[in-house]
Amino acid sequence: MKQSSLRHAIAGLAIVAASGAAYADKANDTLRVAFTKELENVDSYFNSSREGVVLQRAIWDGLIYRDPATNEYKGNLATSWEWIDDLTLEFKLREGVTFHNGEPFNADDVVYTVNFVAKEENGVKTQRNVNWMKSAEKIDEYTVRIHLKDKFPAAIEFLSGPVSMYPNEYYAEAGPSGMGLEPVGTGPYKVVSVTPGQHFVLERNETYHDSPKGQPEITNVDIRTIPDVNTQMAELFSGSLDLIWQVPADQAEKLAEMDQFTVTNESTMRVGYLSMDAAGRSGDTPFTNLKVRQAVNHAINREELVAALLKGKSKVVWTPCFPSQFGCVEEAAETYEYDPEKAKALLAEAGYPDGFTTELYAYRDREYAEAILSYLNAVGIKSDFKFLQYSALRELNMTGDVPLAFLTWGSFSVNDASAMVSQFFKHGSLDDARDDQVLADLEVADSATDPDTRVEHYTKAIKRITEQAYWAPMFSYNTNYVSTNEVEYTPTADEVLRFTTMEWK
Amino acid sequence: MTQPDTQDPILAEITGPTPGQMLRKRVVGHQGLMIGVVVLVILTLIAIFAPLLAPHDPYAQSLMTRMEPPVFLGGDWEHPLGTDHLGRDYLSRLIYGARVSLMIGVIAALISGVIGTAMGVAAGYFGGRVDMVVTFLINVRLAMPVVLVALAVVAILGGSLQVVIVVLGLLLWDRFAVVMRASTLQVRGREYVAAARAIGASTPRVILSEIMPNIANNLIVVVTLEMAHAILLEAALSFLGLGVQPPTPSWGLMVSEGKNMMLFEPWMVLIPGAVLFILVLAINLMGDGLRDVTAPENRS
Repeated sequence: MKQSSLRHAIAGLAIVAASGAAYADKANDTLRVAFTKELENVDSYFNSSREGVVLQRAIWDGLIYRDPATNEYKGNLATSWEWIDDLTLEFKLREGVTFHNGEPFNADDVVYTVNFVAKEENGVKTQRNVNWMKSAEKIDEYTVRIHLKDKFPAAIEFLSGPVSMYPNEYYAEAGPSGMGLEPVGTGPYKVVSVTPGQHFVLERNETYHDSPKGQPEITNVDIRTIPDVNTQMAELFSGSLDLIWQVPADQAEKLAEMDQFTVTNESTMRVGYLSMDAAGRSGDTPFTNLKVRQAVNHAINREELVAALLKGKSKVVWTPCFPSQFGCVEEAAETYEYDPEKAKALLAEAGYPDGFTTELYAYRDREYAEAILSYLNAVGIKSDFKFLQYSALRELNMTGDVPLAFLTWGSFSVNDASAMVSQFFKHGSLDDARDDQVLADLEVADSATDPDTRVEHYTKAIKRITEQAYWAPMFSYNTNYVSTNEVEYTPTADEVLRFTTMEWK
Repeated sequence: MTQPDTQDPILAEITGPTPGQMLRKRVVGHQGLMIGVVVLVILTLIAIFAPLLAPHDPYAQSLMTRMEPPVFLGGDWEHPLGTDHLGRDYLSRLIYGARVSLMIGVIAALISGVIGTAMGVAAGYFGGRVDMVVTFLINVRLAMPVVLVALAVVAILGGSLQVVIVVLGLLLWDRFAVVMRASTLQVRGREYVAAARAIGASTPRVILSEIMPNIANNLIVVVTLEMAHAILLEAALSFLGLGVQPPTPSWGLMVSEGKNMMLFEPWMVLIPGAVLFILVLAINLMGDGLRDVTAPENRS
């Protein structure tokens, strides 16, 4: 008797386990996705990672939306907007929108969000995204004005990207940490559960307003953090994942040969570069010498990196910004052809005939970092290689303790040069160049309303930065999206995974 | 008197083979020991003569010829074991990697051997308070998980060959201390030790010429075990990215670098893994064999 009840229990468990394994797929209308990096906080103002951007676009909405295909600005939470003067933008808000917790969306939410994030002491992670706003003012229930600190022509672009609207009552109470654990927005997907850094479960917002993002098709989205790409692929093979992205080129090539998967390659705005401590913030480093920085630039074979390692839609980049961004003038950039002999000669002229040893930091794409390290070794720059988590490296970077780092920046998919070049060269905590001339040009370029003036000064800044070789810009990234054939998805060129436009085949 | 006739069977039986001859016979007759020694000698020679043997520069990167398969999977003889993810010759990196592994094994075992033996013999010989202190230290050391402590120390100091060698050397002395203490306790009561004391030999002399030779067989076994242990730990640390740093060729690092392509190019993990396995197996076979042939009376 006892034996048989035990047997039943085991059988029951087995059935539950089997159904658990089968739970979540097309039949259950649940899309299972993997993130590679641990997301520090779901609150989109308090993380600076790509995973955060993906969740931000799903959970929240901005006032404006930029169509990724046509680059046309459309009203999202705002129905229309106009410049009252150079420093004031007025928005008519969409009526009848509610947040996931039932709170109605109105001017108070915009005012609270803007005033909160614009205040520097509230510590928004990427100040560049918000520090151009001074304050917001309620005109009536559905009209709001945003006041700018200074002229900022990229305002519309930023409002359609990283600036999303939070519910005032809930955010006042929950704050960034509460918002990170139980996010509430107006977006196409609402959050069912968050296990910080590990597991995010989203559910379709059945009452999503008539947004240019479109209506979500797939009911549930289940996102897990799986740091190892092999594990991700193994789960894709075994059918417990439906979609993985940021798949390295080598693996994507192999997966493309298999019939049951669809591999799509799309370019991204992410630029990979070497940042050198030209200002000598980390102490007495060789990188304060222009010739050393030029030598680094000459030592790297960018064409080979792109052709052999990055592949896909990647391109060699010479600018400290992504070439499609407004103001990112490619012709302005000094180029450094691959010439190890010249690099050695420059090092010798700089007083390092036998090279030197430096720390090289990196946080992603270990393989690329190793290839870069090999190029540097070949001209005599020996390195002490340090591979850190992104947030740890960023902290070190802010305190100026990094002589040489392989970094990347995706500009939050903002299609304006200010999102990258101004992020790093305006004497902020991440600026290792600290060039006054660049600062002066960027001040003008960021705030001028006349497009030609902007281009002129971005051109000057880019020319100066590349002539001084503060960075060694190298390549743009591409992303491989791999999904089972059941998933229908056309990726966009901005590295944002849009669950709203996915559907089952 | 005439010289004894060596052909005489009776005489031969009385004189018999010398202890040296008997030892040699046991060594040659012990299969595991012979295999271990031969493999180890070959690997050591490879490590020493790496610059002469390696067909390519192990650091020479060639991105255009990445991940070429080894000969037995359809590659060509230019790169007999293929190339890695940066187009570096796999065979050359394996050969240079032998240097790293053996160097770490030998030096780490040496450092920990000196520390552990000194402590163990002192504890066993003097007993009393010395023994108490040493036993306490051994217990403290045993309470610390080696891998975790090594990870933490390397994470703080930064990974490099020197750091890994020193950290492992300072962590792996416990078994030396335990075994040497027990062996010393066994032999210190023997008649020859008492005899040496009785004729007025100094303490260092008693330890060095009476005790040490009689516990050396145990020491050798522990040395081999700890060598293998250190080599595996280095591979583990390097695999985790905290050991030897790229571009230094290390087998653990090679496994780690090949891991990304494990599903499609398993040979990238299998080759360094297999070599690591062979080296550690050879060392262990040699250790077991040495114990068998040097202390046969303990076995029967």
